[in-house]
Amino acid sequence: MKVEPRFPEAMTEQQVELLERRAARLREKPAANTDEAMVWVAEFPIGDESYALPLDGLRAAVPLKMVTPVPLSPPHVIGILRFQGQVLTAMSLASLLGGRGWREDPAVLLVVDPGMGGRLVAIDCEHIPKPVPLPVSQVEAARARSTGAVADVTLPGMQQINLVDLRRLLDRRTSEKRNA
Amino acid sequence: MLDPMMEQLLPGFVDESKEIVDRVTEHLIELEKARDEARFDDLARGLHTLKGSAATLGLSDLSELAHRMEDALLPLRNKPVALPGALTDALLKTLDVWMEHLRATTVKSELPDLEPSKELLASVQRAIEVVETPRSASNASNRPKRERREKPPERKKDSVPSPAAEQAAFAEDASSWRVHTREVVALLHEVERLREVRLRLEERRRELGKALQQLSSLGMLAQTAEPRALVIGVHRALSSDGDEAADIVSTMEEQLKTICTLPVRTVLEPLRRSIRDMCKQSGKLARLSVVGGEMSLDRRVLEALRGPLVALVRNAVDHGLEMPEVREARGKHREGSIVVRVEQQGNMLFIEVADDGNGLDVAGIKQAARDLSLAAPDELEAMTPTQLHQLIFRNGFSTRQTVTEISGRGIGMDVVRSHIQALQGHIEVESAAGQGTRFTLSLPAEMGSSPVLVVRSGEHHIGIPMPAIETSLLARPDALRVSRGRVQLSYREQLIPVQDVGALLGLRHAEVPHDGQPLLVVHSQARRFAVAVDEVIGDRELAVRPLPPEVRDLPAYQGAATLARGDLVLIVRPDWLCAVERRDGTLTGTRRALVVDDSLTARALHRTALEAGGYSVHTASSARQALEQLRHSSYDVMVSDIGMEEMDGFDLTREARRRAELEAMPIILVSARDSDQDRQRGAAAGADGFLSKKDCASGRLLAEVHAVIARRQGTA
Repeated sequence: MKVEPRFPEAMTEQQVELLERRAARLREKPAANTDEAMVWVAEFPIGDESYALPLDGLRAAVPLKMVTPVPLSPPHVIGILRFQGQVLTAMSLASLLGGRGWREDPAVLLVVDPGMGGRLVAIDCEHIPKPVPLPVSQVEAARARSTGAVADVTLPGMQQINLVDLRRLLDRRTSEKRNA
Repeated sequence: MLDPMMEQLLPGFVDESKEIVDRVTEHLIELEKARDEARFDDLARGLHTLKGSAATLGLSDLSELAHRMEDALLPLRNKPVALPGALTDALLKTLDVWMEHLRATTVKSELPDLEPSKELLASVQRAIEVVETPRSASNASNRPKRERREKPPERKKDSVPSPAAEQAAFAEDASSWRVHTREVVALLHEVERLREVRLRLEERRRELGKALQQLSSLGMLAQTAEPRALVIGVHRALSSDGDEAADIVSTMEEQLKTICTLPVRTVLEPLRRSIRDMCKQSGKLARLSVVGGEMSLDRRVLEALRGPLVALVRNAVDHGLEMPEVREARGKHREGSIVVRVEQQGNMLFIEVADDGNGLDVAGIKQAARDLSLAAPDELEAMTPTQLHQLIFRNGFSTRQTVTEISGRGIGMDVVRSHIQALQGHIEVESAAGQGTRFTLSLPAEMGSSPVLVVRSGEHHIGIPMPAIETSLLARPDALRVSRGRVQLSYREQLIPVQDVGALLGLRHAEVPHDGQPLLVVHSQARRFAVAVDEVIGDRELAVRPLPPEVRDLPAYQGAATLARGDLVLIVRPDWLCAVERRDGTLTGTRRALVVDDSLTARALHRTALEAGGYSVHTASSARQALEQLRHSSYDVMVSDIGMEEMDGFDLTREARRRAELEAMPIILVSARDSDQDRQRGAAAGADGFLSKKDCASGRLLAEVHAVIARRQGTA
């Protein structure tokens, strides 16, 4: 298929050629593991480390403002906020992870459905996350290896993504509180 | 086989019948105690309506059964005696079967046999006639028995309703719709959003008003006259639109309230029957009094409350009330009293279920707790009665050795509590041996708003329910008494304790209110307290919503409400404010730290690390706030961010070092950047340590804090 620019008179030949190359690249199927099932995650940094949450649980990314601090709350609770008529708890993911990875102050809250009966929670992160596909087999293997709420998925090129099981993380926090 | 058209009318008839049966039940129970002609007449009308309506719908069996009930009842019209217990029993049982039959007809399930009910009524009727005959033989013999009866409505076998009746039924059907609950709930949420939009509109109007004032104060009136006139016009239009929106929201809320609510008595009245039956079974005597039964509440809340209320009332009869002779011996009235009191404060609902019976059996609770291994014997011995009372809410707990039809299965109070918790409420129990037991349920009512006074403490805005506030006044030194670290206010010839709300919330140290500082006199649970705040913002009508589960257990808060700008304000519980046996507002840890950072996350993380190291932590979100806190309180260490607006960490350090009392306080500066230049600037300003946020994340904060404190102590 030939790319027809919408305004041909305004495009140089090089620009048209560039667009065609881009379109062809987009049409290409991934070279490797074409049949491999993928799971999409929302990937974001905490300091130097890369973290991810299952994309299907992500409801929104909102600026970290209009959060009302809750005095006397546990340290990992940064406050409460309103989201689509609901009152949600905003929590520090870095604090939930034991202070791991923090380098700069988060600017974004991710509204997430952790699979607890439709209840939403918000967690902070430094930047708006980007969607990334991960091979299901690797995710499953990482989860099987992991005993905690974070599963390390190692991608080709040795890139490591820490896949967070938020429900497990919150459950752990609840049971710690109960035992305290 | 019912006509399909009639079948459509059945669900409506079930609702109507339920209402009539409830009313008839109440009359029967009262008439069994004492004669009341008005009640008798209404009872008779109820049975007659059931008979006629059932006939109209072609439910001939039910019409006939209602007729038999009339037959049994009507001979007692104008008789100066209470209804015989046997007749009341028979009628109540027959009404149960009547409703069961109707419901089974509606859902097309197996129909219960009506013959036993008819036989029961006939036998009771015969027994009454035998008693009556000697006294009224002459009258009765003058008229054949069937003549005294009202004739059943004449109809053909297949019971085709008359065109007029059919038309009436259709008219009734057209005047009401059946709507799914979730659709009404969705509409409720939309109205709530609309209310918030209305509040935002009001805020925009205020902002526009302020902008207009500023424009006027700038002068240049001639040059800006035209746009100002335009803005003034918009401001006026916005005001009028806002008022109209407010009217619409109020009307919609009122109308939705009518749709979504029912009087509490619809749940409570059937309990009379339950109590009566239990008393018949056990030989006890009990009277149920309902206070506030006319109050209308959200149908969903009421439906969810039905089970817990039944359980509490049944327990009150079964466990609480003594037998009549025991009560008499104890100087009580033979008839036990069960009082259900319903009260709504704002959108919080309070329900009390109290009895004047035995009180909770503390020895029995201890024994059951031992048997169930709920606690070690020495722990049980050390428990206060209040702590022991709480054990009744444990799963599987029962003091009954045997399982009866009423109780003893151990699924009572724990289920009640879980039901109340599912409604985001609390249940409390109070009991006095030999005097009775009172359960208090508090839960948020779904609809409505509460008057709340919004106050400021430091940078925090907090709401206090208005009904708990007795008055507000300004602190005067001559009205305050300070002794042994306690502050008291002389108020109406009494000395009442004074607490700083910021200190109670762990935001700062308690201090003596300064001259002119606002004080609120708050009362709750028969206690009165003065609460010091920094500013009274004003009263608002707010819809208080429960907090999310992660923070719901905090006893300080009743919930949260949305302010005009869309931000949330926490609403404190007055009873928590007034609970004097806690705190003096000072930090309890051995070492105290002040964390200063404009990032919520940073404050949370520093707090996590420092509290793990045994520090008690206060936080400040700006340098200015930190300086204010340092003016009143002393800390063992201050950890401050560098990059803050208005005043950065360097300036804060310099300012602190200028104060003699803060000269020796260790200060650690934290920066997102790890630069030598920042380290040098920090040291020059007077900081003892420097860490990057990355260092903090790798767990170095606590070590650095220990190190700087040790260095300071070494050099002291």
